[in-house]
Amino acid sequence: MMNDILLALQAVATFENFLIMAAGIWGGVVIGAIPGMTGTMAVTLALPFTFYMQPVPSILLLVALYKGSTYGGSVSAILIKTPGTASAACTALDGYPLAQQGKAGKALNMALYSSVIGDFISNLSLIFLAAPLAILALRVGPPEYFMLMVFALTAVAGVSGNSLLLGLVSACMGLLLATVGEDMYGSFRFAMTNDMQAGLAVAPVLIGLFALPELIKLIVFRNPPKTEPMKLGDNRVSGREFRASLKSILRGSGIGVILGAIPGVGPASAAFFSYGEAQRSSKNAANFGKGELEGIAASESANNGACGATMIPLLALGVPGDVITGVMLGAFMIQGLTPGPLLFQTNIHEIYMLFIGMMISSVLLFGAGKVTMRMFSYVAEIPPTLLTSVVLLLCLFGIYSIANSMFDVTVLLALGVVGFGMFLLDIPAAPFLIAFILGPMIEENMRRALAISRGDASVFLSSPITWIFAALILFVIAVTFRREVAKARHRKADRA
Amino acid sequence: MKRILTGVATAAALVAGAAQAQAQDYPDQAITLVVPYGPGGASDLAGRALAETARDYIGQPITVLNKPGAGGMTGAGFVSDADPDGYTLLLARVGMALTPAVNPQSTVDWDAYTFLGELEASPMILAVKADAPYDNAEDLVAAIKENEGTMTYAASGATAIDGFTVQALLSDSGMDPLTAATLVPYKGGGELATALLGGHVDFLAISAGSLMPHIKSGDMKPLMVFAPKRMDDLPDVPTADELGYEQAGQITGWSALYGPKGLPEDVTAKWDEVLAKVAEDETWLTLAERRGSISTVGERDMAEYAKQQYDLFHALAKKFGYIQ
Repeated sequence: MMNDILLALQAVATFENFLIMAAGIWGGVVIGAIPGMTGTMAVTLALPFTFYMQPVPSILLLVALYKGSTYGGSVSAILIKTPGTASAACTALDGYPLAQQGKAGKALNMALYSSVIGDFISNLSLIFLAAPLAILALRVGPPEYFMLMVFALTAVAGVSGNSLLLGLVSACMGLLLATVGEDMYGSFRFAMTNDMQAGLAVAPVLIGLFALPELIKLIVFRNPPKTEPMKLGDNRVSGREFRASLKSILRGSGIGVILGAIPGVGPASAAFFSYGEAQRSSKNAANFGKGELEGIAASESANNGACGATMIPLLALGVPGDVITGVMLGAFMIQGLTPGPLLFQTNIHEIYMLFIGMMISSVLLFGAGKVTMRMFSYVAEIPPTLLTSVVLLLCLFGIYSIANSMFDVTVLLALGVVGFGMFLLDIPAAPFLIAFILGPMIEENMRRALAISRGDASVFLSSPITWIFAALILFVIAVTFRREVAKARHRKADRA
Repeated sequence: MKRILTGVATAAALVAGAAQAQAQDYPDQAITLVVPYGPGGASDLAGRALAETARDYIGQPITVLNKPGAGGMTGAGFVSDADPDGYTLLLARVGMALTPAVNPQSTVDWDAYTFLGELEASPMILAVKADAPYDNAEDLVAAIKENEGTMTYAASGATAIDGFTVQALLSDSGMDPLTAATLVPYKGGGELATALLGGHVDFLAISAGSLMPHIKSGDMKPLMVFAPKRMDDLPDVPTADELGYEQAGQITGWSALYGPKGLPEDVTAKWDEVLAKVAEDETWLTLAERRGSISTVGERDMAEYAKQQYDLFHALAKKFGYIQ
């Protein structure tokens, strides 16, 4: 075995492989950081190149792109309040306020450390816990999935800002928008035009909701609120701050790994879940959403923690959990390797190479993050008027290029107006996005579960996993309710 | 007057000449191949394999563009509405014939294209979990009958090809295809396979590409193949036709190359030439085998086959009660 590992190490540690991985990671970070360009796009575009590459480097390239883009999303989330990927939406909630306080560098560093730690823990779990996690993941059927997603939705309470009521309004709007298009049984809902039959894509909704309102604000209010944004400024994360966030990082990584291992959950849901969790249990709960490093730590450790873990069902079971691992499955098959339990017997050399390569890519992620941070820090020098125009251009171009679809651009612009309206009414945008992403998963799994049980709702409490989530959901509701009552009492006392 | 006429004639001749010159140059820019489903699936892999193989013969890059949605109709509509210049083509699947046959409101008809050629047959496999108590299709059918509608199967949708495989089998066995077993919809081959692996559904009949890894690893049992002949990889598994399932025996998956209606002759001629070369290309054949398909490039007249398929599904849809 030791011999096998050494052989694999020798095979991986070539200059060419390092170059491929570095290019993949760095390319991923940059693509992830550009609003409107997504990791899925990066991985899909890279797929044809892998036809001509050796099996292991080709998979490592795709993994590197995935990891890089997941981290990259946080860079633009922090600097310009535009999450490059959906999984960085919660990062923007605390990252951008920090940037406005002149602590962008601190936020970026915290995001990078959390991402790298999450990524590293994720790799370790892939190597040592793949089999048990894969078995656990298979246990998650429609009822379990439904309960898990409902629990993730309770993160809405944490990202609602001042008013839980407005947060719920926002979430309901998101859920409603998620129903547009063809449902799982083939009936059309709110499909006014042919384009709408396919439903709305996540990227235009995300960018429309987060990036465009900023631009509209700039136009409408003329004088942008006097903030000196995006100075990297106070850019080191102090030992004390790091220790204070360490719990959130580790918990976030754990959440990322477990949720990532379940096919279909993905980094975005893991990040929402972790952010909600951290916000509930943190001593600094009140500071979340106003520039709390712990929030960034929770969100970023979870989304990168989920990245490596999505490889668990792929490698251990041969089951792709999302579009990106779906593309990877394709890449494996093109190379004549079939992921699944057999791969560990027939191609153990390649498996070791892959594992070693993934560990190396964690280190490369750190380097690429540092370089990109410096590069993007010049964003600080650009006057806001120019910057927003460039961002708008990138958004329009990026969204169009995902599917060459003008409809997506229309959605982007419409959601921008909606987002601005929500800003005027003080309705938070994050619950909208969370509900929009989780909505379809909740609905589909509820309907699947009910189809299997032939309409018997007790299926949602039919296994220990569902009991655990039911208890957690009740707990969260109780805690939130208590907090709201306390808040109301404070307000009353203040008035008196 | 005469001068004007001459002028017009010259201009017309020039335009015609230019058009001809342009036609001879096809292709002089990159070709877009639209895959009407998401990346990573069987159709995407087929599209990318064709793009990689054919570009050497056609002399221009072929870009694959995924346009998923509405059961493949979004991408199909995009191509059938495109300019018939040969620069926008479609990786067509069985869904292009199936969807209009079962859904009268479908946005794109089965013949809204120029049929450039068949590409591959992708067999479908009826499978159960390895520890299920059924060893052949008859056992499973008997159990479905006995359980009176409570057994579940996973499919992309009631009127998707992997729903029709099961419903045809049920209908052939004298059961009501819509109520004899419960359909649980999932999206894509990966999710479908996971549902069976995790034991969340009892059986399914989906494309071979998504199932072969699990069959090889011993986690799933193949009971029957939906294909004209047995699969090389599964020589002991009978086809639906062999078992006497008449409707199920006619169902199989396939891919083809389509363009918008009214493609110029030189474009179709060029593709005839290119596909003939692709048919014997080593890379194409290896890639087809690896994704669980059989290359059928140039074996059948595609227009005729598409019509046959449409008629088959139209008849089944009527019989099953999806349309009047």
